[in-house]
Amino acid sequence: MSARDPFDGREMPANGKSHVCVYCVRGVRKLSPASWNEYTATCNPDYAITLSDTPFTASPHSQKRLTKSLERSAAWLADSLKAALTKFAASSDGLPPTGYPSLLVHMAGVSDPQARRAFAESLVEPLETVDRDRLEPLNTLDEGVAGYVFDLVPIRMALSARCPADVLADPSDLLVTNPEPAPTGAGDVRHSRDFVGLLQASLQPLPAEKPRTVNSTRSPHEMLQLILDVGIDLFDAHWAQRAADIGIALDFKFPVSDAPTDDNHNDASSAPRIRANGKQDIGHNLYNSSYAHDHSRLASAFLDAASAQATSIPPTDSSICKCAACSPRRPSAHISHSAVDAMPAQPSRSASDNILPPYTRSYIHHLLHTHEMSSHALLVMHNLAVLDAFFAGVRAVLARTDGQAELRHEAEKFMERYDETMVVFDEAKVEWREVELARGKGRLAREKAKQHESTIGTAVDLEQADS
Amino acid sequence: MQFEVLAKCPTTRARVSRMRLHHGATMLPTFMPVATQAAIKGLTSQQVESLGVNLILNNTYHLNLRPGIDILKEIGGAHKFQGWSHNLLTDSGGFQLVSLSKFTKITEEGALFASPFTGQPTMLTPEESISIQHAIGADIIMQLDDVVSSLTVGPRVGEAMWRTIRWLDRCIEHHQKSGKAGVQNLFAIVQGGLDHDLRDQCLEEMIKRKDRVAGYAIGGLSGGEEKDVFWRIIKQCAEKLPEDRPRYSMGIGFAEDLLVCVALGVDMADCVFPTRTARFGVALTFGGPLNIKLSKYSTDMTPIDETCPCPTCAGGISKAILHHTATLETAGAHALTQHNIVFQARLMGGARDAIMNGTFPEYLKRFFADYFGDSGYPVWCVNALRSVGVDLLENAEHAKVVPGDGAKWEYSDKA
Repeated sequence: MSARDPFDGREMPANGKSHVCVYCVRGVRKLSPASWNEYTATCNPDYAITLSDTPFTASPHSQKRLTKSLERSAAWLADSLKAALTKFAASSDGLPPTGYPSLLVHMAGVSDPQARRAFAESLVEPLETVDRDRLEPLNTLDEGVAGYVFDLVPIRMALSARCPADVLADPSDLLVTNPEPAPTGAGDVRHSRDFVGLLQASLQPLPAEKPRTVNSTRSPHEMLQLILDVGIDLFDAHWAQRAADIGIALDFKFPVSDAPTDDNHNDASSAPRIRANGKQDIGHNLYNSSYAHDHSRLASAFLDAASAQATSIPPTDSSICKCAACSPRRPSAHISHSAVDAMPAQPSRSASDNILPPYTRSYIHHLLHTHEMSSHALLVMHNLAVLDAFFAGVRAVLARTDGQAELRHEAEKFMERYDETMVVFDEAKVEWREVELARGKGRLAREKAKQHESTIGTAVDLEQADS
Repeated sequence: MQFEVLAKCPTTRARVSRMRLHHGATMLPTFMPVATQAAIKGLTSQQVESLGVNLILNNTYHLNLRPGIDILKEIGGAHKFQGWSHNLLTDSGGFQLVSLSKFTKITEEGALFASPFTGQPTMLTPEESISIQHAIGADIIMQLDDVVSSLTVGPRVGEAMWRTIRWLDRCIEHHQKSGKAGVQNLFAIVQGGLDHDLRDQCLEEMIKRKDRVAGYAIGGLSGGEEKDVFWRIIKQCAEKLPEDRPRYSMGIGFAEDLLVCVALGVDMADCVFPTRTARFGVALTFGGPLNIKLSKYSTDMTPIDETCPCPTCAGGISKAILHHTATLETAGAHALTQHNIVFQARLMGGARDAIMNGTFPEYLKRFFADYFGDSGYPVWCVNALRSVGVDLLENAEHAKVVPGDGAKWEYSDKA
């Protein structure tokens, strides 16, 4: 549970000594650490991220501001630990006491490596007298912390050439909480390299055995790099869900050797486009007109359950995308509403008899252009399945003998094959916006107005057309 | 199709029947959820199936625009396209003559539409509508009718009615020539506005075509007309239509409307109401619709209906979380949509059980008492049901009766 959406990079009013400004469904609110501790205690999630002071006012931020950010974040962490200790007698195994969330700390310091290191060191320094009494039996703040969190959005914004808050996307762009810089390109890719140094600065003073989470990566490439070079354990799936919002079906596999090549790939489902740089898109922009007649399944890198069944591949095989879009199943039971309703044929015990053909690219293309929300449901399920398979592939490679070297080798092949600039996302966004304007809220009023005004636009001269 | 009446209510004109279509059997009376553009908004076909639905509606006009006949033919029809393996009914595009009337021009030949989305003109003739419905592959297809708004008066109403009969003949011919008549079933649509004489003439003519028509719909209603007129037209049509054909009232979705229509002899209905109102944050219950966005639900940790078998209620999803997410999160829309579809299905399923058991009058009385007991029975329902032998006010001394359509809505008590 997090107080803020980590992807939200919108400009906010300044935080203060005892509050953070957060954007809620009802607008901007001031949230105090005391309130936050109360909310997390009540909701009792498994993990709660302590309140962190990251400035979202217009950058650049002064050294003084950064120092304040470190001091406040550490102080608020101490407050959270105190609240945890007060609420429950510390169990003999130490924190967390049962019935209370484990605390994760967001690593402060934004894009300043010295600041990051200073913050991390403050976590492992022995507590000063005052705090030592307050937070007994803890000797350091870190002893009460279950893991570390890194938000990439503030770092990305600090590293960007111009201030992205000025290039806020169209407000009608749903979920536009992150002001993504307008043209993607090599610049953003370069930032990925900078993250490594910054995250390492935070982690170097800290014990290695606690889980590390990163929020707001923008590609599988970035994820791989952070896994390899920083040892990151957990990622949010935001970019994959965002891809579904804009009509992209992900289509990639790790390790690359497991994905069908042009030689062994002989079914109708075509691989994503290859760009001028020789690299392949990581997915399909299903808005594109080339998919209108494409009746194949979403991802070429995986099979669908129906095709797999036809070639006697077991339904649990990792070559199959088991999402509900690629491998839909006849429901095993229907709700019966009256005694006379025809009883559905008893479902066979074997799962294979309930396998249905996959939803097609042409169908999702249709749903996207007609502004139907089931496109989103189907694409989210699919994209999360692809991402899940990606991580399963990473784990499988790490499990090999000499896993680290194997992973580096496979990661290089992945980076070689798939396009990191994600230009397919930009193309999709443009078409998403066009459909939103033509079909979204208010469009019928716009069209009726156009019809009224003149024959320019979509109005048709009915007298002339009738011939 | 095979159509068999299984039971008749001894009091009202309701009956339970079974339609065997190419994609399976559907028990009537039933309610059809609307999947206009080949999707029930927000849900997969598998989700809809698991709710106990086996007949949905697609729209010919919209599917012709997108994705278009070519793509539907390539893939083998709308069933395959949307992953729906049960029964499908297509509306011919007739209603769009009214709903998109700013963009249409009607002649004897057909209707000329200017698409509100792309501007391209489409000519929808009876033959063209049937051809499109052939490509879609629906189990039940509707004739193209000349629909006028139910509030229209004057010679246009009669003109539309007579044209509808001529268009029916053209639809029948085109359908029979195609060779699909054995697999896809054509329904006629009775028109005539709110004029009993015009309706009578239309009924007489259309019943003459009974052997070439698989069922009859009652069209041209549900456009804002007085409910008192509405039920009388339904009654008139249902009484005259043959016993051995299903009767379909188009565009009916309110619970009270559905039960009155069933009592008057109607077998099936469709409407966007339950699914649309779900997306707007309204949950349908046997006690009336709940406006989930009202603040009184913000702390209600109980499901919408403890007895409801839908995934939302059976999964324990509380009104509180639905209050929080409805209209803001798509998952809220999905949850309410599934619940409302199941509500409609339970309403009709309960009617089927009651008719089979001979207890339909009691079912009606209990429904109306639970739904309207506090706010007052709409007088038109009382009158309509009295005309088929059910007195809602019998043994209900304190019953209130309200004029007008009496439709139930939940308002904020803060207002």
